[in-house]
Amino acid sequence: MTATAQPLVEATTLSKWYGQVIGLNDVTVSVPAGVTGLLGPNGAGKSTFMKLMTGQLKPSKGTIAVFGEPIWGHPHLFFRIGFCPEQDAFYESMTGLEWLTGLLRLNGLDEKSATTAAQHSLVTVDLVEAADKKIGSYSKGMRQRVKLAQAIAHDPALLILDEPLAGMDPIGRRKTIRLIKDWARAGKSVIVSSHILHEIEAMTSNILLIHNGRILAEGDVHQIRDLIDEHPHTVYIRAQHPRELARTFLEHDDVLSLKVESDAVVVQTARPDAFYSRLTDLAASSESGEIAEITSPDDNLQAVFQYLVK
Amino acid sequence: MRAPSYWQASLRIFELSLGEMLWSRRTIFMALVVGSPVLLAGVIRAIEAAGIAGFRVESLRINGATIFGMLIWVLYLRFIVPVLGIFYGTALIADEIEDKTITYLFTRPIPRGAVLVGKYLAYLTCTILVVLPSVMLVYFLLVPIGSASLVSSFPSLVTDLGLLALGLAVYGSLFGFVGARLKRPVVFGLVFAFGWEQAALIFPGYLRRFTVAYYLQALVPHAMPEQSTLGAVQALFRDAPSGLVSLAWLALFWLGFLFLAARTVERREYVLEQ
Repeated sequence: MTATAQPLVEATTLSKWYGQVIGLNDVTVSVPAGVTGLLGPNGAGKSTFMKLMTGQLKPSKGTIAVFGEPIWGHPHLFFRIGFCPEQDAFYESMTGLEWLTGLLRLNGLDEKSATTAAQHSLVTVDLVEAADKKIGSYSKGMRQRVKLAQAIAHDPALLILDEPLAGMDPIGRRKTIRLIKDWARAGKSVIVSSHILHEIEAMTSNILLIHNGRILAEGDVHQIRDLIDEHPHTVYIRAQHPRELARTFLEHDDVLSLKVESDAVVVQTARPDAFYSRLTDLAASSESGEIAEITSPDDNLQAVFQYLVK
Repeated sequence: MRAPSYWQASLRIFELSLGEMLWSRRTIFMALVVGSPVLLAGVIRAIEAAGIAGFRVESLRINGATIFGMLIWVLYLRFIVPVLGIFYGTALIADEIEDKTITYLFTRPIPRGAVLVGKYLAYLTCTILVVLPSVMLVYFLLVPIGSASLVSSFPSLVTDLGLLALGLAVYGSLFGFVGARLKRPVVFGLVFAFGWEQAALIFPGYLRRFTVAYYLQALVPHAMPEQSTLGAVQALFRDAPSGLVSLAWLALFWLGFLFLAARTVERREYVLEQ
Protein backbone atom coordinates (compact mmCIF):
# COMPACT_ATOMS: atom_id res chain seq x y z
CA MET A 1 0.00 0.00 0.00
CA THR A 2 1.36 3.41 -0.88
CA ALA A 3 1.82 5.70 2.09
CA THR A 4 0.70 9.32 1.72
CA ALA A 5 0.91 12.34 3.99
CA GLN A 6 -2.80 12.37 4.64
CA PRO A 7 -5.05 9.40 3.99
CA LEU A 8 -8.26 10.05 2.09
CA VAL A 9 -10.32 8.14 4.60
CA GLU A 10 -9.17 7.23 8.06
CA ALA A 11 -11.23 5.01 10.33
CA THR A 12 -10.22 4.42 13.92
CA THR A 13 -11.85 1.61 15.94
CA LEU A 14 -14.94 2.29 13.85
CA SER A 15 -18.04 0.27 14.66
CA LYS A 16 -21.61 0.51 13.53
CA TRP A 17 -24.48 -1.57 14.78
CA TYR A 18 -28.16 -1.54 13.94
CA GLY A 19 -29.85 -2.63 17.16
CA GLN A 20 -28.51 -6.12 17.76
CA VAL A 21 -26.98 -6.45 14.30
CA ILE A 22 -23.34 -5.50 13.79
CA GLY A 23 -22.73 -3.75 10.49
CA LEU A 24 -19.09 -2.87 11.01
CA ASN A 25 -16.90 -4.09 13.82
CA ASP A 26 -13.90 -2.25 15.24
CA VAL A 27 -12.35 -1.23 11.94
CA THR A 28 -9.10 0.71 11.91
CA VAL A 29 -7.91 1.45 8.42
CA SER A 30 -6.43 4.19 6.26
CA VAL A 31 -7.41 4.49 2.63
CA PRO A 32 -4.68 6.11 0.52
CA ALA A 33 -5.06 8.24 -2.61
CA GLY A 34 -5.59 6.37 -5.89
CA VAL A 35 -8.08 3.61 -6.61
CA THR A 36 -9.00 1.32 -3.74
CA GLY A 37 -11.32 -1.65 -4.08
CA LEU A 38 -13.55 -2.72 -1.24
CA LEU A 39 -14.15 -6.40 -1.78
CA GLY A 40 -16.48 -8.64 0.17
CA PRO A 41 -19.55 -10.81 -0.17
CA ASN A 42 -23.06 -9.41 0.20
CA GLY A 43 -23.77 -8.45 3.79
CA ALA A 44 -20.05 -8.13 4.62
CA GLY A 45 -20.37 -4.47 5.64
CA LYS A 46 -19.25 -2.75 2.41
CA SER A 47 -22.32 -0.55 2.12
CA THR A 48 -22.26 0.28 5.84
CA PHE A 49 -18.62 1.35 5.53
CA MET A 50 -19.44 3.47 2.49
CA LYS A 51 -22.42 5.07 4.23
CA LEU A 52 -20.16 5.91 7.17
CA MET A 53 -17.53 7.45 4.92
CA THR A 54 -20.20 9.55 3.18
CA GLY A 55 -21.68 10.79 6.44
CA GLN A 56 -25.04 9.12 5.95
CA LEU A 57 -24.56 7.09 9.10
CA LYS A 58 -23.14 8.16 12.41
CA PRO A 59 -20.51 5.84 13.94
CA SER A 60 -21.76 3.86 16.94
CA LYS A 61 -18.18 3.82 18.18
CA GLY A 62 -14.87 5.17 16.92
CA THR A 63 -14.28 7.84 14.34
CA ILE A 64 -14.12 8.25 10.60
CA ALA A 65 -12.50 11.20 8.84
CA VAL A 66 -12.44 12.08 5.15
CA PHE A 67 -9.75 14.51 3.96
CA GLY A 68 -8.76 14.80 7.62
CA GLU A 69 -12.18 15.95 8.87
CA PRO A 70 -15.06 14.03 10.45
CA ILE A 71 -17.65 13.61 7.73
CA TRP A 72 -20.78 13.52 9.91
CA GLY A 73 -22.15 17.05 10.17
CA HIS A 74 -19.63 18.51 7.71
CA PRO A 75 -21.53 18.76 4.41
CA HIS A 76 -18.96 21.13 2.85
CA LEU A 77 -16.79 18.02 2.28
CA PHE A 78 -19.22 16.98 -0.44
CA PHE A 79 -17.70 19.57 -2.75
CA ARG A 80 -14.80 17.10 -2.94
CA ILE A 81 -16.77 13.85 -2.80
CA GLY A 82 -19.00 12.20 -5.37
CA PHE A 83 -21.08 9.25 -4.21
CA CYS A 84 -22.81 6.64 -6.33
CA PRO A 85 -25.08 4.57 -4.06
CA GLU A 86 -25.98 0.95 -4.55
CA GLN A 87 -29.76 1.36 -4.53
CA ASP A 88 -31.73 1.73 -7.74
CA ALA A 89 -33.62 4.83 -6.61
CA PHE A 90 -34.48 7.90 -8.67
CA TYR A 91 -36.99 10.68 -9.25
CA GLU A 92 -38.60 8.61 -11.98
CA SER A 93 -40.61 11.39 -13.60
CA MET A 94 -37.60 13.66 -14.16
CA THR A 95 -35.39 13.47 -17.21
CA GLY A 96 -31.74 12.57 -16.73
CA LEU A 97 -30.69 16.12 -17.56
CA GLU A 98 -33.22 17.72 -15.20
CA TRP A 99 -32.17 15.45 -12.36
CA LEU A 100 -28.46 16.07 -12.79
CA THR A 101 -28.98 19.82 -13.17
CA GLY A 102 -31.13 19.91 -10.03
CA LEU A 103 -28.50 18.05 -8.02
CA LEU A 104 -25.68 20.21 -9.37
CA ARG A 105 -27.58 23.32 -8.30
CA LEU A 106 -27.27 21.96 -4.77
CA ASN A 107 -23.50 22.10 -5.25
CA GLY A 108 -23.77 25.85 -5.67
CA LEU A 109 -23.75 26.03 -9.46
CA ASP A 110 -26.00 28.52 -11.23
CA GLU A 111 -28.56 27.23 -13.71
CA LYS A 112 -26.37 27.68 -16.79
CA SER A 113 -23.21 26.15 -15.30
CA ALA A 114 -25.25 23.30 -13.81
CA THR A 115 -26.82 22.48 -17.18
CA THR A 116 -23.43 22.57 -18.89
CA ALA A 117 -21.83 20.34 -16.25
CA ALA A 118 -24.80 17.94 -16.38
CA GLN A 119 -24.56 17.66 -20.16
CA HIS A 120 -20.81 17.07 -19.95
CA SER A 121 -21.36 14.37 -17.36
CA LEU A 122 -23.99 12.66 -19.52
CA VAL A 123 -21.54 12.67 -22.43
CA THR A 124 -18.93 11.04 -20.18
CA VAL A 125 -21.25 8.16 -19.28
CA ASP A 126 -22.47 7.87 -22.86
CA LEU A 127 -26.03 8.85 -22.07
CA VAL A 128 -26.39 12.05 -24.00
CA GLU A 129 -29.07 10.68 -26.32
CA ALA A 130 -31.28 9.80 -23.37
CA ALA A 131 -30.72 13.14 -21.62
CA ASP A 132 -34.26 14.35 -22.26
CA LYS A 133 -35.99 11.05 -21.56
CA LYS A 134 -37.60 10.34 -18.21
CA ILE A 135 -35.45 8.25 -15.89
CA GLY A 136 -38.44 5.96 -15.39
CA SER A 137 -38.03 4.81 -18.99
CA TYR A 138 -34.29 4.01 -18.66
CA SER A 139 -32.96 0.46 -18.81
CA LYS A 140 -31.07 -0.98 -15.85
CA GLY A 141 -27.73 -0.17 -17.42
CA MET A 142 -28.78 3.40 -18.23
CA ARG A 143 -29.96 3.88 -14.66
CA GLN A 144 -26.57 2.75 -13.39
CA ARG A 145 -24.87 5.18 -15.74
CA VAL A 146 -27.02 8.18 -14.80
CA LYS A 147 -26.34 7.36 -11.14
CA LEU A 148 -22.63 7.42 -11.93
CA ALA A 149 -23.11 10.70 -13.82
CA GLN A 150 -24.51 12.45 -10.73
CA ALA A 151 -21.46 11.33 -8.77
CA ILE A 152 -18.90 12.68 -11.24
CA ALA A 153 -20.78 15.76 -12.46
CA HIS A 154 -19.23 18.21 -10.00
CA ASP A 155 -15.71 16.88 -10.68
CA PRO A 156 -14.96 15.68 -7.15
CA ALA A 157 -11.49 14.73 -5.92
CA LEU A 158 -12.82 11.51 -4.43
CA LEU A 159 -15.39 9.19 -5.99
CA ILE A 160 -17.08 6.65 -3.74
CA LEU A 161 -18.86 4.01 -5.79
CA ASP A 162 -21.01 1.29 -4.24
CA GLU A 163 -21.31 -1.66 -6.64
CA PRO A 164 -21.26 0.60 -9.73
CA LEU A 165 -21.14 -2.27 -12.24
CA ALA A 166 -24.09 -4.23 -10.87
CA GLY A 167 -26.60 -4.96 -13.61
CA MET A 168 -24.61 -3.33 -16.40
CA ASP A 169 -24.17 -4.96 -19.79
CA PRO A 170 -20.59 -5.94 -20.81
CA ILE A 171 -20.02 -2.83 -22.90
CA GLY A 172 -21.26 -0.60 -20.08
CA ARG A 173 -18.95 -2.41 -17.67
CA ARG A 174 -15.97 -1.93 -19.91
CA LYS A 175 -16.73 1.79 -20.32
CA THR A 176 -17.27 2.30 -16.61
CA ILE A 177 -14.03 0.54 -15.74
CA ARG A 178 -12.24 2.74 -18.25
CA LEU A 179 -13.88 5.83 -16.75
CA ILE A 180 -12.69 4.88 -13.27
CA LYS A 181 -9.16 4.27 -14.50
CA ASP A 182 -9.15 7.60 -16.36
CA TRP A 183 -10.39 9.28 -13.21
CA ALA A 184 -7.41 7.91 -11.31
CA ARG A 185 -5.01 8.84 -14.11
CA ALA A 186 -6.22 12.44 -13.78
CA GLY A 187 -4.84 12.41 -10.23
CA LYS A 188 -8.15 11.87 -8.48
CA SER A 189 -9.16 9.04 -6.18
CA VAL A 190 -11.79 6.34 -6.21
CA ILE A 191 -13.08 3.93 -3.59
CA VAL A 192 -15.13 1.26 -5.29
CA SER A 193 -16.95 -1.69 -3.80
CA SER A 194 -17.87 -5.00 -5.35
CA HIS A 195 -18.43 -8.61 -4.43
CA ILE A 196 -16.68 -9.69 -7.64
CA LEU A 197 -12.91 -9.87 -7.55
CA HIS A 198 -12.67 -9.81 -11.31
CA GLU A 199 -14.36 -6.41 -11.40
CA ILE A 200 -12.16 -4.91 -8.71
CA GLU A 201 -9.08 -6.39 -10.28
CA ALA A 202 -9.90 -4.69 -13.56
CA MET A 203 -9.80 -1.32 -11.80
CA THR A 204 -7.08 -1.58 -9.18
CA SER A 205 -4.65 -3.85 -7.45
CA ASN A 206 -5.13 -2.14 -4.10
CA ILE A 207 -7.93 -3.76 -2.13
CA LEU A 208 -9.53 -3.96 1.27
CA LEU A 209 -11.05 -7.35 2.03
CA ILE A 210 -14.11 -7.06 4.20
CA HIS A 211 -16.09 -9.86 5.77
CA ASN A 212 -18.57 -10.00 8.66
CA GLY A 213 -18.04 -6.32 9.37
CA ARG A 214 -14.26 -6.62 9.72
CA ILE A 215 -11.38 -5.73 7.42
CA LEU A 216 -9.68 -9.08 6.90
CA ALA A 217 -6.81 -7.92 4.77
CA GLU A 218 -5.56 -4.93 2.86
CA GLY A 219 -3.01 -4.70 0.12
CA ASP A 220 -2.31 -6.17 -3.27
CA VAL A 221 -5.09 -8.06 -4.99
CA HIS A 222 -2.69 -10.61 -6.48
CA GLN A 223 -2.02 -12.06 -3.06
CA ILE A 224 -5.51 -13.53 -2.91
CA ARG A 225 -5.81 -14.09 -6.60
CA ASP A 226 -4.67 -17.73 -6.46
CA LEU A 227 -7.12 -18.49 -3.71
CA ILE A 228 -9.97 -17.12 -5.76
CA ASP A 229 -8.99 -19.13 -8.80
CA GLU A 230 -9.25 -22.35 -6.87
CA HIS A 231 -12.98 -21.78 -6.54
CA PRO A 232 -15.30 -21.93 -9.55
CA HIS A 233 -16.80 -18.59 -10.46
CA THR A 234 -20.52 -18.39 -11.21
CA VAL A 235 -21.82 -15.93 -13.81
CA TYR A 236 -25.48 -15.26 -14.61
CA ILE A 237 -26.02 -13.88 -18.12
CA ARG A 238 -29.43 -12.59 -19.22
CA ALA A 239 -29.48 -12.77 -23.00
CA GLN A 240 -31.70 -12.65 -26.06
CA HIS A 241 -30.70 -16.16 -27.25
CA PRO A 242 -29.47 -18.12 -24.21
CA ARG A 243 -29.23 -21.46 -26.03
CA GLU A 244 -27.03 -20.04 -28.78
CA LEU A 245 -24.88 -18.38 -26.17
CA ALA A 246 -24.58 -21.65 -24.25
CA ARG A 247 -23.39 -23.43 -27.40
CA THR A 248 -20.64 -20.81 -27.84
CA PHE A 249 -19.54 -21.20 -24.23
CA LEU A 250 -19.25 -24.97 -24.53
CA GLU A 251 -16.51 -24.59 -27.11
CA HIS A 252 -14.11 -23.56 -24.32
CA ASP A 253 -12.63 -25.83 -21.68
CA ASP A 254 -12.70 -23.25 -18.84
CA VAL A 255 -16.49 -23.64 -18.61
CA LEU A 256 -17.11 -26.18 -15.88
CA SER A 257 -20.90 -26.29 -15.98
CA LEU A 258 -23.82 -24.67 -17.74
CA LYS A 259 -27.50 -24.18 -16.96
CA VAL A 260 -29.85 -22.73 -19.57
CA GLU A 261 -32.94 -20.86 -18.35
CA SER A 262 -35.72 -19.26 -20.39
CA ASP A 263 -33.91 -15.93 -20.77
CA ALA A 264 -30.52 -16.60 -19.22
CA VAL A 265 -27.50 -18.86 -18.94
CA VAL A 266 -25.77 -19.63 -15.65
CA VAL A 267 -22.13 -20.57 -16.14
CA GLN A 268 -19.48 -21.87 -13.78
CA THR A 269 -16.00 -21.06 -15.00
CA ALA A 270 -12.56 -21.92 -13.71
CA ARG A 271 -10.94 -18.89 -15.37
CA PRO A 272 -13.13 -15.82 -14.92
CA ASP A 273 -10.64 -13.47 -16.62
CA ALA A 274 -10.65 -15.35 -19.88
CA PHE A 275 -14.38 -15.92 -19.66
CA TYR A 276 -15.27 -12.26 -19.08
CA SER A 277 -12.96 -11.16 -21.83
CA ARG A 278 -14.66 -13.51 -24.31
CA LEU A 279 -18.06 -12.42 -23.06
CA THR A 280 -17.31 -8.75 -23.68
CA ASP A 281 -16.17 -9.54 -27.21
CA LEU A 282 -19.32 -11.60 -27.77
CA ALA A 283 -21.52 -8.75 -26.54
CA ALA A 284 -19.72 -6.25 -28.75
CA SER A 285 -20.10 -8.43 -31.84
CA SER A 286 -23.73 -9.43 -31.06
CA GLU A 287 -22.96 -12.78 -32.74
CA SER A 288 -25.11 -14.68 -30.29
CA GLY A 289 -27.76 -12.02 -29.85
CA GLU A 290 -27.98 -9.21 -27.33
CA ILE A 291 -26.57 -9.66 -23.83
CA ALA A 292 -28.72 -7.60 -21.49
CA GLU A 293 -27.23 -8.15 -18.07
CA ILE A 294 -24.43 -9.93 -16.27
CA THR A 295 -24.47 -10.64 -12.57
CA SER A 296 -22.29 -12.81 -10.42
CA PRO A 297 -23.61 -14.45 -7.28
CA ASP A 298 -20.97 -14.25 -4.58
CA ASP A 299 -20.89 -17.96 -3.70
CA ASN A 300 -17.34 -18.30 -4.97
CA LEU A 301 -16.11 -15.30 -3.00
CA GLN A 302 -17.96 -16.50 0.07
CA ALA A 303 -16.01 -19.75 -0.15
CA VAL A 304 -12.73 -17.86 -0.28
CA PHE A 305 -13.66 -15.77 2.74
CA GLN A 306 -14.64 -18.86 4.68
CA TYR A 307 -11.23 -20.24 3.86
CA LEU A 308 -9.51 -16.98 4.93
CA VAL A 309 -11.22 -16.75 8.32
CA LYS A 310 -10.60 -20.37 9.26
CA MET B 1 -17.62 26.82 -6.03
CA ARG B 2 -19.30 28.45 -3.04
CA ALA B 3 -21.74 26.56 -0.86
CA PRO B 4 -25.29 27.84 -1.30
CA SER B 5 -26.65 29.64 1.77
CA TYR B 6 -29.27 27.89 3.90
CA TRP B 7 -32.04 29.80 2.15
CA GLN B 8 -30.60 29.20 -1.35
CA ALA B 9 -30.21 25.51 -0.60
CA SER B 10 -33.84 25.36 0.59
CA LEU B 11 -35.03 27.07 -2.59
CA ARG B 12 -33.07 24.64 -4.74
CA ILE B 13 -34.55 21.68 -2.91
CA PHE B 14 -37.93 23.32 -3.43
CA GLU B 15 -37.31 23.57 -7.20
CA LEU B 16 -36.19 19.94 -7.30
CA SER B 17 -39.16 18.68 -5.27
CA LEU B 18 -42.14 20.69 -6.47
CA GLY B 19 -42.69 18.83 -9.73
CA GLU B 20 -42.25 15.44 -8.04
CA MET B 21 -44.74 16.42 -5.36
CA LEU B 22 -47.31 17.84 -7.79
CA TRP B 23 -47.28 14.74 -9.97
CA SER B 24 -47.22 12.18 -7.18
CA ARG B 25 -49.96 9.67 -6.36
CA ARG B 26 -50.68 11.73 -3.27
CA THR B 27 -51.93 14.55 -5.51
CA ILE B 28 -54.75 12.31 -6.74
CA PHE B 29 -55.79 11.82 -3.14
CA MET B 30 -55.56 15.57 -2.57
CA ALA B 31 -57.64 16.27 -5.68
CA LEU B 32 -60.34 13.92 -4.38
CA VAL B 33 -60.30 15.57 -0.96
CA VAL B 34 -60.55 19.14 -2.25
CA GLY B 35 -62.86 18.14 -5.09
CA SER B 36 -65.59 16.89 -2.76
CA PRO B 37 -66.68 20.35 -1.48
CA VAL B 38 -66.74 21.61 -5.07
CA LEU B 39 -68.98 18.70 -6.01
CA LEU B 40 -71.18 19.36 -3.00
CA ALA B 41 -71.42 23.06 -3.87
CA GLY B 42 -72.33 22.11 -7.45
CA VAL B 43 -75.14 19.86 -6.22
CA ILE B 44 -76.51 22.57 -3.91
CA ARG B 45 -76.36 25.09 -6.73
CA ALA B 46 -78.17 22.69 -9.06
CA ILE B 47 -80.90 22.08 -6.49
CA GLU B 48 -81.34 25.82 -6.02
CA ALA B 49 -81.38 26.40 -9.77
CA ALA B 50 -84.03 23.74 -10.21
CA GLY B 51 -86.09 25.56 -7.57
CA ILE B 52 -86.72 22.31 -5.70
CA ALA B 53 -86.32 23.74 -2.21
CA GLY B 54 -84.27 26.32 -0.40
CA PHE B 55 -81.31 25.00 1.55
CA ARG B 56 -82.23 24.79 5.23
CA VAL B 57 -80.49 23.99 8.46
CA GLU B 58 -82.99 22.78 11.09
CA SER B 59 -85.86 24.48 9.20
CA LEU B 60 -84.00 27.78 8.97
CA ARG B 61 -83.62 29.01 5.41
CA ILE B 62 -80.02 30.02 4.86
CA ASN B 63 -78.32 31.84 2.02
CA GLY B 64 -75.30 30.85 -0.04
CA ALA B 65 -72.80 32.93 1.95
CA THR B 66 -73.79 31.06 5.13
CA ILE B 67 -73.49 27.68 3.43
CA PHE B 68 -70.08 28.76 2.18
CA GLY B 69 -69.09 29.79 5.72
CA MET B 70 -70.22 26.40 7.05
CA LEU B 71 -68.12 24.59 4.47
CA ILE B 72 -65.06 26.68 5.32
CA TRP B 73 -65.51 26.07 9.02
CA VAL B 74 -66.58 22.43 9.10
CA LEU B 75 -65.08 20.93 5.99
CA TYR B 76 -62.00 22.91 5.08
CA LEU B 77 -60.62 24.03 8.43
CA ARG B 78 -61.64 21.06 10.56
CA PHE B 79 -61.06 18.31 8.01
CA ILE B 80 -59.30 19.11 4.73
CA VAL B 81 -56.49 21.29 6.09
CA PRO B 82 -55.47 18.87 8.89
CA VAL B 83 -55.74 15.86 6.55
CA LEU B 84 -53.48 17.48 3.96
CA GLY B 85 -51.11 18.55 6.71
CA ILE B 86 -50.93 14.97 7.97
CA PHE B 87 -50.51 13.19 4.66
CA TYR B 88 -48.09 15.68 3.10
CA GLY B 89 -46.32 16.98 6.19
CA THR B 90 -45.42 13.57 7.59
CA ALA B 91 -44.16 12.49 4.16
CA LEU B 92 -41.71 15.35 3.60
CA ILE B 93 -38.72 13.26 4.65
CA ALA B 94 -40.42 9.85 4.98
CA ASP B 95 -41.06 9.59 1.22
CA GLU B 96 -37.41 10.26 0.40
CA ILE B 97 -36.37 7.67 2.97
CA GLU B 98 -38.85 5.10 1.68
CA ASP B 99 -37.87 5.73 -1.95
CA LYS B 100 -34.18 5.76 -0.91
CA THR B 101 -33.62 9.00 -2.84
CA ILE B 102 -32.57 10.89 0.29
CA THR B 103 -28.98 9.72 -0.32
CA TYR B 104 -28.63 12.09 -3.27
CA LEU B 105 -29.71 15.06 -1.13
CA PHE B 106 -27.72 14.15 1.98
CA THR B 107 -24.48 13.78 0.00
CA ARG B 108 -24.50 17.38 -1.23
CA PRO B 109 -22.71 20.35 0.34
CA ILE B 110 -25.86 21.74 1.93
CA PRO B 111 -27.19 21.58 5.49
CA ARG B 112 -29.58 18.66 5.95
CA GLY B 113 -32.14 20.96 7.54
CA ALA B 114 -32.41 22.84 4.24
CA VAL B 115 -33.73 19.63 2.67
CA LEU B 116 -36.66 19.68 5.08
CA VAL B 117 -37.29 23.40 4.63
CA GLY B 118 -37.19 23.14 0.83
CA LYS B 119 -39.56 20.21 0.79
CA TYR B 120 -41.84 22.03 3.23
CA LEU B 121 -41.97 25.02 0.85
CA ALA B 122 -42.87 22.64 -1.98
CA TYR B 123 -45.64 21.14 0.17
CA LEU B 124 -47.03 24.57 0.98
CA THR B 125 -46.99 25.71 -2.64
CA CYS B 126 -48.50 22.45 -3.83
CA THR B 127 -51.37 22.39 -1.32
CA ILE B 128 -52.11 26.09 -1.62
CA LEU B 129 -52.22 25.77 -5.40
CA VAL B 130 -54.86 23.06 -5.08
CA VAL B 131 -56.87 24.13 -2.03
CA LEU B 132 -57.35 27.83 -2.76
CA PRO B 133 -58.80 27.38 -6.27
CA SER B 134 -61.18 24.80 -4.80
CA VAL B 135 -62.36 27.34 -2.20
CA MET B 136 -62.85 29.98 -4.88
CA LEU B 137 -64.91 27.58 -6.98
CA VAL B 138 -67.08 26.78 -3.98
CA TYR B 139 -67.42 30.51 -3.30
CA PHE B 140 -68.57 31.35 -6.81
CA LEU B 141 -70.98 28.43 -6.82
CA LEU B 142 -72.57 29.08 -3.43
CA VAL B 143 -72.47 32.76 -2.55
CA PRO B 144 -74.86 33.98 -5.28
CA ILE B 145 -77.56 31.67 -3.80
CA GLY B 146 -80.20 33.63 -1.93
CA SER B 147 -79.19 36.94 -3.55
CA ALA B 148 -76.05 37.40 -1.46
CA SER B 149 -73.64 39.88 -2.98
CA LEU B 150 -70.30 38.60 -4.27
CA VAL B 151 -68.78 42.06 -3.81
CA SER B 152 -69.84 42.51 -0.19
CA SER B 153 -68.66 39.05 0.85
CA PHE B 154 -65.37 39.26 -1.06
CA PRO B 155 -63.31 40.57 1.91
CA SER B 156 -64.35 37.54 3.96
CA LEU B 157 -63.26 35.29 1.06
CA VAL B 158 -59.81 36.88 1.19
CA THR B 159 -59.71 36.26 4.94
CA ASP B 160 -60.77 32.64 4.36
CA LEU B 161 -58.02 32.10 1.80
CA GLY B 162 -55.43 33.59 4.13
CA LEU B 163 -56.72 31.51 7.01
CA LEU B 164 -56.56 28.27 5.01
CA ALA B 165 -53.02 29.09 3.86
CA LEU B 166 -52.07 29.76 7.48
CA GLY B 167 -53.69 26.48 8.53
CA LEU B 168 -51.78 24.55 5.87
CA ALA B 169 -48.56 26.26 6.97
CA VAL B 170 -49.02 25.48 10.68
CA TYR B 171 -50.29 21.91 10.29
CA GLY B 172 -47.58 21.27 7.69
CA SER B 173 -44.77 22.38 10.00
CA LEU B 174 -46.25 20.45 12.96
CA PHE B 175 -46.59 17.22 10.99
CA GLY B 176 -43.29 17.86 9.22
CA PHE B 177 -41.69 17.71 12.64
CA VAL B 178 -43.69 14.60 13.56
CA GLY B 179 -42.62 12.93 10.28
CA ALA B 180 -38.96 13.76 10.88
CA ARG B 181 -39.08 12.54 14.47
CA LEU B 182 -41.41 9.54 14.70
CA LYS B 183 -41.59 6.16 13.02
CA ARG B 184 -45.38 6.03 12.55
CA PRO B 185 -46.13 9.69 11.94
CA VAL B 186 -49.45 9.24 10.09
CA VAL B 187 -51.01 7.37 12.99
CA PHE B 188 -49.84 10.05 15.39
CA GLY B 189 -51.13 12.75 13.04
CA LEU B 190 -54.59 11.21 12.74
CA VAL B 191 -54.85 10.72 16.49
CA PHE B 192 -53.73 14.30 17.07
CA ALA B 193 -56.03 15.97 14.54
CA PHE B 194 -59.14 13.83 14.91
CA GLY B 195 -58.75 12.57 18.46
CA TRP B 196 -56.91 15.01 20.61
CA GLU B 197 -57.96 18.26 18.88
CA GLN B 198 -61.63 17.28 18.72
CA ALA B 199 -61.72 16.20 22.34
CA ALA B 200 -59.67 19.08 23.75
CA LEU B 201 -61.90 21.64 22.05
CA ILE B 202 -65.02 20.24 23.66
CA PHE B 203 -63.74 20.21 27.22
CA PRO B 204 -63.76 23.53 29.00
CA GLY B 205 -60.48 24.71 30.48
CA TYR B 206 -56.98 25.25 29.21
CA LEU B 207 -56.47 21.99 27.26
CA ARG B 208 -57.76 23.52 24.04
CA ARG B 209 -54.79 25.90 24.07
CA PHE B 210 -52.67 22.92 23.09
CA THR B 211 -54.39 22.57 19.75
CA VAL B 212 -53.94 24.36 16.45
CA ALA B 213 -57.68 24.32 15.71
CA TYR B 214 -58.44 26.47 18.78
CA TYR B 215 -56.46 29.41 17.39
CA LEU B 216 -57.48 28.83 13.78
CA GLN B 217 -61.21 28.84 14.37
CA ALA B 218 -60.94 32.03 16.40
CA LEU B 219 -60.06 33.70 13.12
CA VAL B 220 -63.01 32.33 11.10
CA PRO B 221 -65.06 35.30 9.88
CA HIS B 222 -68.33 33.41 9.35
CA ALA B 223 -71.16 33.10 11.85
CA MET B 224 -73.50 30.09 11.84
CA PRO B 225 -77.28 30.58 12.08
CA GLU B 226 -77.73 31.54 15.72
CA GLN B 227 -80.61 29.20 16.55
CA SER B 228 -79.17 26.11 14.90
CA THR B 229 -77.15 23.30 16.46
CA LEU B 230 -74.15 24.39 14.41
CA GLY B 231 -74.56 27.88 15.80
CA ALA B 232 -74.57 26.48 19.33
CA VAL B 233 -71.48 24.36 18.60
CA GLN B 234 -69.74 27.35 17.12
CA ALA B 235 -70.69 29.40 20.15
CA LEU B 236 -69.09 26.72 22.31
CA PHE B 237 -65.93 26.85 20.24
CA ARG B 238 -66.10 30.62 20.12
CA ASP B 239 -64.59 30.74 23.56
CA ALA B 240 -61.41 31.76 21.86
CA PRO B 241 -58.62 34.29 22.15
CA SER B 242 -58.53 37.53 20.21
CA GLY B 243 -57.39 37.53 16.60
CA LEU B 244 -54.04 39.02 17.48
CA VAL B 245 -53.32 36.47 20.19
CA SER B 246 -54.38 33.65 17.84
CA LEU B 247 -52.13 34.95 15.10
CA ALA B 248 -49.21 35.21 17.51
CA TRP B 249 -49.67 31.63 18.74
CA LEU B 250 -50.10 30.26 15.24
CA ALA B 251 -46.93 32.06 14.13
CA LEU B 252 -45.10 30.58 17.10
CA PHE B 253 -46.34 27.06 16.30
CA TRP B 254 -45.47 27.50 12.66
CA LEU B 255 -41.91 28.73 13.09
CA GLY B 256 -41.27 26.66 16.20
CA PHE B 257 -42.21 23.33 14.64
CA LEU B 258 -40.45 24.19 11.39
CA PHE B 259 -37.29 24.93 13.35
CA LEU B 260 -37.62 21.70 15.35
CA ALA B 261 -38.25 19.69 12.18
CA ALA B 262 -35.18 21.13 10.44
CA ARG B 263 -33.06 20.55 13.56
CA THR B 264 -34.26 16.96 13.82
CA VAL B 265 -33.33 16.23 10.20
CA GLU B 266 -29.97 17.91 10.78
CA ARG B 267 -29.12 15.67 13.71
CA ARG B 268 -30.98 12.43 13.16
CA GLU B 269 -29.48 9.42 11.44
CA TYR B 270 -31.78 7.83 8.86
CA VAL B 271 -31.04 4.20 8.14
CA LEU B 272 -32.33 3.03 4.77
CA GLU B 273 -33.72 -0.49 4.70
CA GLN B 274 -31.66 -2.86 2.61
